[in-house]
Amino acid sequence: MIRLLRIARREYLAYVRTPGFWLSLLLLPVGLSTIIIAPMAVSRATPTPRIAIIDFTGEHLTPQVVAAINPHGAPPQAVIVPDPPRPFANPDDARARLQPYLRGQRPLPDGANLDAAAIIRPDNQGGVAVDFWSRNLQSGGLEQTVSASVGEAIRNDRLRALGVDPKALSQVESLTPNLSLYSPKAATGKVGIKDTLPTLAGLAMGVLLLMVVLTGAGMLLNSVMEEKTSRIIEVLLSSASVPEIMGGKILGVAAVTGTILAFWMTIGAVLITVRSPQVAGDLVGVFLQHGHWAYFALYFIGGYLMFATLYVTIGAFCETAREAQTLLGPMMIVMTIPGVFMAQAVGHPDLPLLRTLTWIPLFTPFMMAARVASDPPLWEIASTAALMFAVTAFELWIAVPAFKAGALATGRFDVRLFFATVTRRRPA
Amino acid sequence: MDAALSVEGVTKRYGAFTAVEDLSFTLGAGKILGFLGPNGAGKTTTVRMILGLVAPTAGAVRVLGEADPARVRNRIGFLPEERGLYRRMSPVSAIGFLASLKGLSTAEGRRRARELLITHGLGDFADKPIRSLSKGMAQKVQILSTLVHRPELVILDEPFSGLDPANQQALEDLIRDIAARGATVIFSTHVMQHAERLCDQVLLMARGRKVFDGTVDAARASAPRTLMMEGRFDASALADLPGVVQLTSEPAEGDAVRVSAALSAGAPAQEALREAFARGLDIRRFELREPHLHDAFLVLTGGGDS
Repeated sequence: MIRLLRIARREYLAYVRTPGFWLSLLLLPVGLSTIIIAPMAVSRATPTPRIAIIDFTGEHLTPQVVAAINPHGAPPQAVIVPDPPRPFANPDDARARLQPYLRGQRPLPDGANLDAAAIIRPDNQGGVAVDFWSRNLQSGGLEQTVSASVGEAIRNDRLRALGVDPKALSQVESLTPNLSLYSPKAATGKVGIKDTLPTLAGLAMGVLLLMVVLTGAGMLLNSVMEEKTSRIIEVLLSSASVPEIMGGKILGVAAVTGTILAFWMTIGAVLITVRSPQVAGDLVGVFLQHGHWAYFALYFIGGYLMFATLYVTIGAFCETAREAQTLLGPMMIVMTIPGVFMAQAVGHPDLPLLRTLTWIPLFTPFMMAARVASDPPLWEIASTAALMFAVTAFELWIAVPAFKAGALATGRFDVRLFFATVTRRRPA
Repeated sequence: MDAALSVEGVTKRYGAFTAVEDLSFTLGAGKILGFLGPNGAGKTTTVRMILGLVAPTAGAVRVLGEADPARVRNRIGFLPEERGLYRRMSPVSAIGFLASLKGLSTAEGRRRARELLITHGLGDFADKPIRSLSKGMAQKVQILSTLVHRPELVILDEPFSGLDPANQQALEDLIRDIAARGATVIFSTHVMQHAERLCDQVLLMARGRKVFDGTVDAARASAPRTLMMEGRFDASALADLPGVVQLTSEPAEGDAVRVSAALSAGAPAQEALREAFARGLDIRRFELREPHLHDAFLVLTGGGDS
């Protein structure tokens, strides 16, 4: 056991000391922060656009458009500037005379550039048209604000003409029934956020396991392959038993991925707690209630062990990265299947197809994690877990001699040797 | 004397292929055994059986008194052929880690590693990544990692390959030191001079079978001594000299000829030489050459590649 722990420790430290580990650790928080902060930073760095509003309708729509662009108590979406070369004879005249300003060939009287101009004019069908001119192809949603405010002004005018109070209509439109969701599976009968959290937690656990397995697969394959290529594996085999070597590697890589995930999850937990302590409390409750933590741990450990054993064994038969990738490819394809069906399990955890997939040991840990909200019966939990661990035990029984045979073999990956050791459990 | 290693009637088959057949030998504690044989002779398979990495199909191996080599793992040091180390680790960490797998505490392993590195002139590189070391230094680190736990049985597979002459000499000294402190050493090599200088016992294998097991002197005795004569004479005139069993000749300087006359076991060279002079042959130079281990190797293995 002490050797297993020492191999695990070396494995862990070997990865922790690589730049790749720190990149993995920081990439997600940095990526998320960038997604959140970058638009704000860009928005702050971008000067407020300057817009001219030219109304040819004679219906005095400009004040309402200005009010929409510069709402009370909110930052202005644009700075309204007086029409530069006013007055304009007609929309075509306005369009023509504004061109040098919009192209940046001529500055406004205050020396700044004109970024946009909204020419509001009557259209041929008796309605109103808005010609929105912008210096850039994208105007950041300003045209939508102008269009919406003009539309609202027109609608209100028409309503008033029809003798309808626009405010009264707005109140009528806002009338909706109070919808309440009920389910016998909800704690109080009424479905609340607390009841939907287990579904999301189950999906999150399934995705987490998928990430751990996919991340760990590459690490385990490379680790064994490196030791085999350099013949260190022979020294290890002369110093420790195969289960100690395999166990140490699996544990070490689990600790590496565990560290990364724990770091990410801590950041997530802090953010949730700061932003919504109630949700954070409910989330903790989800894991503690009905023994969900044990349920998740059961399938998480079983699933990781099942896949990690497979990858370590395959790694012992590979000498080059190309060989490893060739073998890893089909496994990755298989791994996409639970990824697809886990999302389905959120809405329909008891679909017959999903329940069937649960009984395929390779998919069991993912599907059962995703189906947690449907409260699978105890017999189903016990049976699928027993099957999963039986397959893992069988895999280990085969993997021990197969690992040794692969580690001591030389040359390219030998399919016949692999299956010979797997099927006959032949030692080297 | 207690046997550090005892191999009795060991056979290893892989399907229809027999890698080692009916191999038996014993090695006394504190002795140095040279494991010689052409490629494919079964040396690596035998080493793996001694280490317990593969199980014999038949026969038994006793290592340091135990029938199961796994039970004495901590008392064995093994250096594989084409060896490597964790390139990103420092020599202290790498040696310390391997020592920790051999029963030492991590702290003690690191302490001994540093001590060994200083003793062998690598103190300044103890904490640098192995990938920054020269090939010779890295090989030295690998060898030290085999010895850090002070094993009673040291198995070195081709330990001299890749070492420069100075480091080869240093390794020879190291092997003598290991044996001097009472440990048993087995090493395989293709360089006969190392075996000749170091070994108390040599084991020659060919095609999975033992062809010789004994001392270096006994091995050499299996190859004929050669009487070399050079001069202006007819080579065929030497064919019936007493004790001569085989003649080979080649042109020498001028119109002279150089003849190598292989002598039968125990035949005195003086008689053949005296007879040659008695026949009045114009012999200008002669030399009696004792066989080297290389000659014995060729004779015993049927000229297999070494």
